[in-house]
Amino acid sequence: MNVIDRYAYMNRLAKVNPAGKAVIALVTIGLCLVLNRPIVGVLAVGWMFGLAVWLAGIPAKVFRRVLLAEAGFLLLTSVGVAVSIATRDHGVGWRLPVGRFWLVVTPESLEQMVRLMTRALGGASALNFLAFTTPLVDLVGLLRRMWLPEALIDVMVIMYRFIFVLLETLNKMVKAQSSRLGYAAGYRRGMQAAGTAGAQLFFSAMRRSQRLETALASRGFDGELRVLKSRHEVMPWFGIILVGLVGSLFVGFGLTAESLRMLRFFG
Amino acid sequence: MKKVLSKKWKLGLIALLVLGSAQVVSAAPMQMHVMEGFLPWQWALFWWAVALPFWIIGIRQVGAILREQPEKRIYLGLAGGFIFVLSALKIPSVTGSSSHPTGTGIGTMLFGPFVVGILGTVALIFQALLVAHGGISTLGANAMSMAIGGPLIAYYLVWRPLKNSPFYVRVFMTAFVADLATYLITTTQLALAFPDPFSGFVGSWLKFAGIFAVTQIPLAIGEGILSVLIMNALQSNTEQELVQA
Repeated sequence: MNVIDRYAYMNRLAKVNPAGKAVIALVTIGLCLVLNRPIVGVLAVGWMFGLAVWLAGIPAKVFRRVLLAEAGFLLLTSVGVAVSIATRDHGVGWRLPVGRFWLVVTPESLEQMVRLMTRALGGASALNFLAFTTPLVDLVGLLRRMWLPEALIDVMVIMYRFIFVLLETLNKMVKAQSSRLGYAAGYRRGMQAAGTAGAQLFFSAMRRSQRLETALASRGFDGELRVLKSRHEVMPWFGIILVGLVGSLFVGFGLTAESLRMLRFFG
Repeated sequence: MKKVLSKKWKLGLIALLVLGSAQVVSAAPMQMHVMEGFLPWQWALFWWAVALPFWIIGIRQVGAILREQPEKRIYLGLAGGFIFVLSALKIPSVTGSSSHPTGTGIGTMLFGPFVVGILGTVALIFQALLVAHGGISTLGANAMSMAIGGPLIAYYLVWRPLKNSPFYVRVFMTAFVADLATYLITTTQLALAFPDPFSGFVGSWLKFAGIFAVTQIPLAIGEGILSVLIMNALQSNTEQELVQA
């Protein structure tokens, strides 16, 4: 379905205990948010890139491409942070009159944009690391051990299973429609084709669910789906990685706070 | 130190901004989920707290359904799968074909807003952990806009009140409003977190609304049309599946 999901099953960390990988990702996201310094975000991107490429064996090109796409989207949204709107000329920053308004870019707003982009990229790279190295089934299994109700977990498992089945059904339908020029004849026809595909997808989903219900009922289904737990290896170098990661992010943070104080002292 | 730009520069810059945003948004993989790390931690926590009561109500409703009919687990799983996959259906749009949240509009009409709140949240979790769209810290904010807010507003302000209007009007408006509400809630979330230093919340709101309007408004109209077509096809089909839905 997706390049990320494919690597989740193929990488060198795929069979490793998901808890370790989740802790690394969550700690990184948390520190990026709370420490909120550009250098912390940059360090986080570096760590996650390194772990994904050298430890998990994800091709650097693939990881970089996903990260760059996110950066592009991020750049657009953070333009809204960098550019301010004023109703009169405040006399600060670079400004541009548009009708009755002024578009203003100040050094402070640029700094906020940089801070925002590095923080979000740090967090996104941690999420990428988790998504690239861990099959979703493992993560759902991890959620099962937390406070989430059992029924919800079952719904999630079934949902995950059928996403791929339904997606394949949808792809086949769209291919069949395209080969009969379903999407090639303008907006109206394209919409019509998409509508038919969506409706047929719903029927397909309902038909499948009924068949599955019948099949399970005939095997004595009482509302619980029991499956064998999958076995996991221990995450290599987990302690060292975690200590190094947290340590370096805090050192980066400390350096900026320190340098800021020194700058203020001298300037 | 006058830094006001000349007219030629100004026009060029505005054109670049408009074209650029249209390009980037339509190239962006998902519609407008708030990315991981984008919200300051205080706001991320705040939106988790706001979403929590809705999740609890939704989980209770889902739990009640499952206690009475355990076999509905399969049905709910497939409904969730349908909602997730429907967003992968490409629809022709002015700014190029793109992904969209049709699932939540249709899901609201078929399964009710609270169940969609849960299934939509699961879909968001999957998007975060499967394809790294959206995020974990921003899950509360994204769920609030896409899975909870949009469906609730569309259901109580449109779907229920328009009971007696023509079916296609009712379906179009529900899907359109669900989409639009999602877009406006996200805009509000961003404006609250990043108020403009000169024009405050209002200025910031207009900025973010403007950035996303380029794709979101044509998309909402497209969604409305698509939903009408899907619901019509569902209605004209008298298979027994519909009895269960």
